[in-house]
Amino acid sequence: MKMSLIVRTTTKLISPFLVAYSAYLMLYGHLSPGGGFQAGVILAVSIILLITSHGYNRVRKTFKFWEVQLIEGISGGFLVLLATAGVVFGGFFYNFLRGGELGSLISGGIIPLFNIGVALKVGAAFTFMFYILLRWVERD
Amino acid sequence: MIPLIVAFPLAAAFLTSILPALRRERFSKHLFLIGMLSPWLILPQIINNLPSNEVVGNWSRVSGIEVAVDAYNIPFIVAELILSAFVALYVWGYYPRKIENKAYVLILLLHSGLLGAFISRDLFNYYIYMEIASVASFALVGISKEKGARRAAFKYTVFSLLASYIFILGIGIIYLKTGYLNLALIKENLEMSREINVALALSFTSLLLKSGIFPLYFWLPDAHSKADAPVSALLSGLVVKAPAYGMILLTLTFPINTSMQKPLLTLAFLSMFFGIAMAILQKNSERLLAYHTVSQMGYVLLGISLLNPLAAAYYALAHSLFKGGLFLSVGSLAEHYGTRDLEKLSYRNNKSLMLAIVLLSLAIGGVSPFIGAFGKAMLIENLKGFLKYAFYAGGIGTLVSFTKLNYYLSKRGEKIEIPRRKEAISLSLAILTLLGGIYLHPHLSVFKDSISLVIAIFIFYLLRKLGVFEVSFKAFTPEQFKTLGKEINAYMVLFTAVLLLFLFNFL
Repeated sequence: MKMSLIVRTTTKLISPFLVAYSAYLMLYGHLSPGGGFQAGVILAVSIILLITSHGYNRVRKTFKFWEVQLIEGISGGFLVLLATAGVVFGGFFYNFLRGGELGSLISGGIIPLFNIGVALKVGAAFTFMFYILLRWVERD
Repeated sequence: MIPLIVAFPLAAAFLTSILPALRRERFSKHLFLIGMLSPWLILPQIINNLPSNEVVGNWSRVSGIEVAVDAYNIPFIVAELILSAFVALYVWGYYPRKIENKAYVLILLLHSGLLGAFISRDLFNYYIYMEIASVASFALVGISKEKGARRAAFKYTVFSLLASYIFILGIGIIYLKTGYLNLALIKENLEMSREINVALALSFTSLLLKSGIFPLYFWLPDAHSKADAPVSALLSGLVVKAPAYGMILLTLTFPINTSMQKPLLTLAFLSMFFGIAMAILQKNSERLLAYHTVSQMGYVLLGISLLNPLAAAYYALAHSLFKGGLFLSVGSLAEHYGTRDLEKLSYRNNKSLMLAIVLLSLAIGGVSPFIGAFGKAMLIENLKGFLKYAFYAGGIGTLVSFTKLNYYLSKRGEKIEIPRRKEAISLSLAILTLLGGIYLHPHLSVFKDSISLVIAIFIFYLLRKLGVFEVSFKAFTPEQFKTLGKEINAYMVLFTAVLLLFLFNFL
């Protein structure tokens, strides 16, 4: 399942930009429009674009099945453990890292951390779902 | 402190899911057991500070999500923790190695979803956690090795998701009219209007479908009887209780008038008797128990419709203990015989399972001093006149059906070996229903119970002489429809009719 050379080159060029955009949405989610879920979807789209243009078998060699599974589980566990860590400071999901000037990057406390966790979780989960469906499609 | 009982199993679920990637699948059993039992660590602290509430993240009530534990949901939480602990011990090493890890992750997600639904005091948060539990249970029904399990799981998925969409539409209308999702704030700012009534009709109908009450029960017998024994115990004991808790939350928040109470009361009684009638005609052991879930959820709905939520909560606790125990004990028998046909099963050679099943049958029939009697004593307080006798008749009907179960099981059968652990789990759940009943409601009504037992056994022999048990009952089984699509369409029409009925009644 390989597409033409033009499509392959274009997707190779676009994918890194999508990852950069996704990272921006993750980190600035608390200051500007965006946030974890959107960032995660864009992260997944960058890989899904590569799958559609290069085929599953090629992409699987770079982004391995077990790596995606690992990222998904670890980011999910990270979210819960970060929320649980707040119990030490006063409550579940308590924002214990408050600081910095209002409007600066670090003023969000744990919220950017949550955005990163959610983004990785959503991105890995979407990719994982595609992998499982494609594995079933390309079995025969 | 309260949200931690959800956080621990959820974290364990995520950590278990990464074990295959790390090639450490052999530890998934241990992590699973830790995740299932960890909420017990927090339970003593919660019970000591009863009632308590907390807004997650120390936000204000308006912007945060509130969770609380009080008299209305502590029975649900305790039932969840007890039954899931027993099921966790039962499931240890139950699934084949290939799907073991997935099954453990799904059961952990089911566990945390149910706990999250039971502690929440926010409509949307309740909905989310109920969905986590439902989605996990669709998959758990689907991985069963029983024939027709996937069809049952698909039907369950379609109808449960339909109910979810209708429910979230109801929540949306409530949010639009009051501006809050937090139940305490909704109660403060509530002005009853036609829109709120529509929202209540929508949410009640969808929750009735999710809890398997009579006209909307059709997905339940399939899903609960095709699943594996421990999963059936969880589904029947706990998953159908989450929507019941939602109805309790609604009755505590909104003023329910008589025109809303009446249809619920009617459905409660219809569900009770319909479930019993269908159960008596079943030949499949698991289907018999599944139809009893329809009947017993009628009792829970009865408590809700009489505006006696505490009775409903305690009956739910009682039901989850004995129904979970019955599914585990009869399920272990069925599994080791390799069939679910009642006529081929027997507990003659297995004294501890026999004791467990007899004790649990007495408990579900409401014989004192078992826990079922406590639930029924709380329910009957508000009943008057004719309804009181109907309630007694329901109890006798349940006993008739379980006389039938015990009659078939006590016949001679081939000798089989059942692992000690499974016997011990079934027996300890049975003893727990006895001890729980003695602890909660220490009284003994020998006269009433012996009369109802005698009547039940008499009716059983009458029915047997009349040949009712020989009737092969093909209607209402999945085979009557040629394709799954037609079946789903037919039931969809039924659901729409009930929804319209509720809308016209509530307006």
